[in-house]
Amino acid sequence: MKTCVLNVVLMLTAMLVHPVKGADRVSFNHDVRPILSDKCFFCHGPDSERREADLRLDDRAAAIEAGAINVNKPDASELIRRVLSTDEDEQMPPPSAKLGHLSPQEIETLKAWIEQGAVYENHWAFVPLKPLPETDQSVTSLIDEAVERGLEKRGLTRQPEADRHTLIRRLSFDLTGLPPTPEDIETFVSDKSPEAYEHLVDRLLTSTAYGEKMAVDWLDIARYADSYGFQVDREREMWPWRDWVIRAFNENKPFDQFLTEQLAGDLLPDATQDQILATAFNRLHQQESEGGSVEEEYRVEYVCDRVQTFATAFLGLTFECSRCHDHKYDPITQKEYYQLFAMFQNIDEAGLYSFFTNSPPTPALELTDAATRERLDALQQKVEAIEKSGKELKAARAAVFDEWVKTQSESLSEEKTTLPGELARFPLDEVTGGKLANTVQADQLATLAGGNQIVPGRTGNAVQFSGDDALNLPLGNFGRHEPFSVSLWLQTPDVKDRAVVFHRSRAWTDAASRGYELLIEEGRLKWSLIHFWPGNAISIRAVDPVPVGEWLQVTVTYDGSSRADGLTLYVNGQPARVDVIKDNLTKEITGGGGDNITLGERFRDRGFKEGLIDDFRVFGRELTALEATAIHDEVSAESLLSVDENSEATEDRNQQFEWYLSTIDEEWAKHLKTLQESRAEWYQAADGVKGIMVMRELPEPKPAYVLFRGEYTQRREEVFAGTPAALSPFPEDAPRNRLGLAQWLIDPQHPLTARVTVNRIWQSLFGRGIVQTAEDFGSQGARPSYPEVLDTLSAGFISSGWDVKQLLKTIVMSQTYRQRSIADKKVMEDDPGNEWLARGPRFRLSAEMIRDNALASAGLLVQRTGGPPVNPYELSESFKPAAASGGDGVYRRSLYTRWRRTGPPPAMIAFDAPRRAVCTAKRERTDSPLQALVLLNGEQYVEAARVLGEHVYLEADGDVPGMIEAGFLRCLSRRPDASEVEILSALYREQLEYFRQHSEGAEQLLKIGRAPRDAAIPVAEAAAATVLAQALLNHDASVVKR
Amino acid sequence: MSNRLPTQKSSSSSTVETQSLCAALNRRSFLSQSGVGLGGLALADLLSQESASGAEVEQGVLGSPHFVPKAKRIIYLFMSGGPSHLDLLDYKPELNRLHGQQLPDSVRGGQRLTGMSGNQSSIPLVGSPFKFQQHGEGGAWFSETLPETAAIADDLCVINSMYTEAINHGPGVTFMQTGTQIAGRPSMGAWLSYGLGQESANLPSFVVMVTKDKGGQPLGAHLWGSGFLPTKHQGVRFRAGADPVLYLGNPAGVDTQSRRMLLDRMKELHEHQYSTTPDSEIQNRIAHYEMAFAMQSSVPEATDFASESQAVLEMYGPDVNTPGTFAANCLQARRLAERGVRFIQLYHPGWDHHGGVPGAIPKSCKETDQPAAALVKDLKRTGLLDDTLVIWGGEFGRTNYCQGKISPNFGRDHHPRCFSMWMAGGGIKPGTLHGETDELGYSVVRDGVHIHDLHATILHLLGIDHERLTYKFQGRRYRLTDVHGHVVPGILA
Repeated sequence: MKTCVLNVVLMLTAMLVHPVKGADRVSFNHDVRPILSDKCFFCHGPDSERREADLRLDDRAAAIEAGAINVNKPDASELIRRVLSTDEDEQMPPPSAKLGHLSPQEIETLKAWIEQGAVYENHWAFVPLKPLPETDQSVTSLIDEAVERGLEKRGLTRQPEADRHTLIRRLSFDLTGLPPTPEDIETFVSDKSPEAYEHLVDRLLTSTAYGEKMAVDWLDIARYADSYGFQVDREREMWPWRDWVIRAFNENKPFDQFLTEQLAGDLLPDATQDQILATAFNRLHQQESEGGSVEEEYRVEYVCDRVQTFATAFLGLTFECSRCHDHKYDPITQKEYYQLFAMFQNIDEAGLYSFFTNSPPTPALELTDAATRERLDALQQKVEAIEKSGKELKAARAAVFDEWVKTQSESLSEEKTTLPGELARFPLDEVTGGKLANTVQADQLATLAGGNQIVPGRTGNAVQFSGDDALNLPLGNFGRHEPFSVSLWLQTPDVKDRAVVFHRSRAWTDAASRGYELLIEEGRLKWSLIHFWPGNAISIRAVDPVPVGEWLQVTVTYDGSSRADGLTLYVNGQPARVDVIKDNLTKEITGGGGDNITLGERFRDRGFKEGLIDDFRVFGRELTALEATAIHDEVSAESLLSVDENSEATEDRNQQFEWYLSTIDEEWAKHLKTLQESRAEWYQAADGVKGIMVMRELPEPKPAYVLFRGEYTQRREEVFAGTPAALSPFPEDAPRNRLGLAQWLIDPQHPLTARVTVNRIWQSLFGRGIVQTAEDFGSQGARPSYPEVLDTLSAGFISSGWDVKQLLKTIVMSQTYRQRSIADKKVMEDDPGNEWLARGPRFRLSAEMIRDNALASAGLLVQRTGGPPVNPYELSESFKPAAASGGDGVYRRSLYTRWRRTGPPPAMIAFDAPRRAVCTAKRERTDSPLQALVLLNGEQYVEAARVLGEHVYLEADGDVPGMIEAGFLRCLSRRPDASEVEILSALYREQLEYFRQHSEGAEQLLKIGRAPRDAAIPVAEAAAATVLAQALLNHDASVVKR
Repeated sequence: MSNRLPTQKSSSSSTVETQSLCAALNRRSFLSQSGVGLGGLALADLLSQESASGAEVEQGVLGSPHFVPKAKRIIYLFMSGGPSHLDLLDYKPELNRLHGQQLPDSVRGGQRLTGMSGNQSSIPLVGSPFKFQQHGEGGAWFSETLPETAAIADDLCVINSMYTEAINHGPGVTFMQTGTQIAGRPSMGAWLSYGLGQESANLPSFVVMVTKDKGGQPLGAHLWGSGFLPTKHQGVRFRAGADPVLYLGNPAGVDTQSRRMLLDRMKELHEHQYSTTPDSEIQNRIAHYEMAFAMQSSVPEATDFASESQAVLEMYGPDVNTPGTFAANCLQARRLAERGVRFIQLYHPGWDHHGGVPGAIPKSCKETDQPAAALVKDLKRTGLLDDTLVIWGGEFGRTNYCQGKISPNFGRDHHPRCFSMWMAGGGIKPGTLHGETDELGYSVVRDGVHIHDLHATILHLLGIDHERLTYKFQGRRYRLTDVHGHVVPGILA
């Protein structure tokens, strides 16, 4: 049997690969590169790091210099000697490579090539496109001619045009993903005008179903899912981006814009909400929140995923290799990989999403409709107006203050022991029954627990922290509209790289730090209010480090403005010099749990180990500078008032005025109250707006490095934004960021963007691309079967202004597309994959189309565009089961099915839908008995058959041939012939007989699914009609596009 | 039977006269191209006169193995969550002696800890609360929580020197199952299906069963996915309950008779369609509907314990009667192994003992110890153990220091630098102890076995050179062991 197999393989090889005869010109790209790339480049290719014997065979000069190639003299070329050698130490590829030997055929090719001069060519895909030839001919006829020439060369001919029933079905699925209705079929078939076909194409291209169909392939590319993936795989709302894609296709957004907006919409001048939304494309990768994960490790993974998706989607190249080393086969260096990495990392993001809150990771776009936007704007303007009036009021109150001061000279010496607005004060002096006293609210105590200890403090005692035990205070859940302040004494035993002094939050990365916190970071105090760290927060950090072993009095305040300039840090009674670290707080700081102030410890964070805290005080207002000084000096604020009208110290005077306003002035108090109320109203409205992950470029690029072996801990040489040099020059004047990257891609000189896109569109129509490896146009990828067709279409695509609908029309108008899909046996055998296009496209429909076809045939399909994902019945059978959606959710088009990565829809997976963990440029297409089980027994399909059965029964008024005809038109888009009517009539009769005897079974069958049953149809008849419809929905012609 | 045999799948089809090419090739190429996992199901019956031999099954890409295999199939008992080597198989009296002391920096060596305990101020060592004893000739130690496993020590090879790089469950389990930490590559079972094809003609080559209602760290369907390999190689999850395979059962109200009548008429319809549209894909379709029908009886037969003796049932313990338990899945695994399933992957979640080690470990052991040991004994009894490889283990080990505060009810964090597994059966040296960790059970000191090495060894046992089972995707050859892995001779028989 082995011999037999071998013979056949040799025979087939001989048929497919033309032997190189002496006279034949060997083509480097066609004949030689595939051999060198597959067998040699791994060690003797572009990767400088792993290059063996310092020999590279991808570069002619180098190969000649090294003696591997002796031009015109194969027998004197080391390359040939080595591939012929049988000495294990000499032969190439070496046995250790486990690549086997070169075939005699391959060796002959190499010899002939060297003999003919060893001419190298640029890899075909990297050669710039030629512009369209100057001709009156349409692109359609150019490609038909090119295909004809190719067929002729192989002794083949094109098939005749398919019949009209076949054509309308083919076109409908290809352009809308749905079957034609019986009415559509009738119209088209009876329209005898020569333009009938073109009119049909135009009509289909304008239907909204077109955008939905086109979106499906793009969702695979974009690895779109409704969950984060990885282990925790929580759900997330990215569907507004999916709807953007559908809209973009339906509006026929030119592909260059489509691409630019998704890569860099945020960088466009005056970017619209939709343009920013488009950049969600870059955030659809999987994300992690498993407890204990390392944040930077995953951030690097995300950026790498963006780079890879970008490369596969737009360049059709595999960049993954270059993450760890120079590409083995294609001219992409590791350094260039990280130059792209530099472009895709430049956003304010975290490597982990929040476990304890549901906020989308930053940067996020707050998605608003016009009405909401208007309301938010109005609320904001109201706040701003009040803030402005505050300034005027302040000016007006200065005089009042001056008067007031004069009247106070008598009483100023009186000491006041408390400050207004104080909510709690914990002297932390003694423990009574495990409790620490609160001198403001005697019943609100703190509990000392674990390794935290009372030790001698600055005054009396203090608490010394273990670093692993929290000291919880029973208050502190402030909203961001509320001014508040905290004051304490602290002492650190050492320089803390990171330590939590106090906070109000559930956790660090596990809650994206939502809340507020005082940390020591790199030895410096850092005071922050946070919605989602790092992209949605305000934060300031002291310039000067915390001195070790000294008591420090610290007061931090917040004014309710959601701005970094509303944060103040006082050290030892004086405002500290600070840097603004973050200044973008647009959402609530409450929620997530941990609703009280905690000292010295945080979940999975570093505590204030062996640090001391004394006299901890909380205020429900923004303390003034004067009060901060007073607290530090341990005097009353009043004692700091100067009544000397001639005081030179303006600063002092201002501080006193601020204090007066804050504590005495009733007008100012009213103003603050109004301001706080209007902020609360604004923030509440803003907090309710849903956010979606997008790109928002940081003003300063993050430093980027080559990562040795791609590992996040192994930073090497610093690199800067750039693109691979071998592909196309970076346009002058273009910015070195994602926008420049997009401009680089859409430059008409770019060799790949149009080719890759056209190829994928072709693939969607013909089942395989002109380049079969749609995901790899590199050295290891397949060569185009019809380079001329690919290049002509690509040049035409660019010159049309990247018009996608026109591109589709150009192709579907061709005779190549319109051929019959069945050819004679020899043609089918010789070219089973239809590489040479001697027949029309034919392949099993996609998972989405099969389900949508069943729903449409049964009249159940709900054609509403967009919105949140839905759960069809099959999700209850998923690995992560979810109940079916209510209402008409189970009848939506399949692209709206909820996509949970760890538990994807099982019936769709059975039909080869990808899991969408990574960018997928090409779907598998397999057939299996599992698919038969889904179609025969799956609830969705049984219900569809039941409803379809009812429809045809009623349409034909129970007349069996009439039912069969109606069913055929709905499911197969054609009429049955006599034999088919006969077979199905027999089926109906048998089943009717059966269900008459099994009426209970019939009743059960008719209860499947939630569509109500039409009681007008007798039970046995309805059940038999259901089985009849099953036969139709399972029919080959229902699930295969021909 | 028709003398026209389809030779290609789906989009690429043709018909070839039996006479024109040798029949064996025809059948083989048809078989190799059909089906998602269940590809060759009952195909011999459908298409071949030689069906009685039962030998016509889907062939793998390797055709024949690289060398004589010691094992034909694998039952992998995945203990998901990271079982504590220190409380089960790696006895460390020194750890008990130093109980409560801080982990010395010299032992830790600056290795990264997870974010869960990495920021702890104090990391005190904790000894195991369980008693250990040596069993069997190999001298392996077993904790008192594994009495049944200890009793079959002479059949086992215990490896105490496993190590990985992953510090969390998602990447850890993914690494163990696919050879890489990031989800998306083919799983081990998919590689074997791709390389070796099916052993059985009427069941999938790769079956997955997850203990029901266990909670614990979530698993994902990517763990048994086929990655870039054709989807037919992905694992088929058998579920506990009426429909072990998705939509296996007829709709309510439809019995076998009605279904058979439908299929007969569909076959007529399809044959008619073929006469007007001569596309071999139609013949594939006819075959797949017949296979689906056959599965409707073969799968329930394989999952029905009625024919098992009381003695066998008792061996697995009382849980065996509850579908979806680990015990039931173990017995199911033996039945599937008998019927020629190539790779049977069990998952038992619940080993993630961040807290409550003293109580939680015995609980997990109670669920798994007896059934796992029974499976080995049962395989031995039926003679299957000779060519069935049984693997027991998780994704990493656990720390020798406690997570959080030291307390009687302490927990242990994830630990990648060493952990324990055991293997038994086909090609494994029985009664062996392999590898050693330091006296605190923190690092491997002798005969370390990396995950890639384990994979290389598993493939070796199945007759595969791990460097030569490759798949070209996106321009490069991928393999289960990536560019790493060495066969571990010390554990081979």
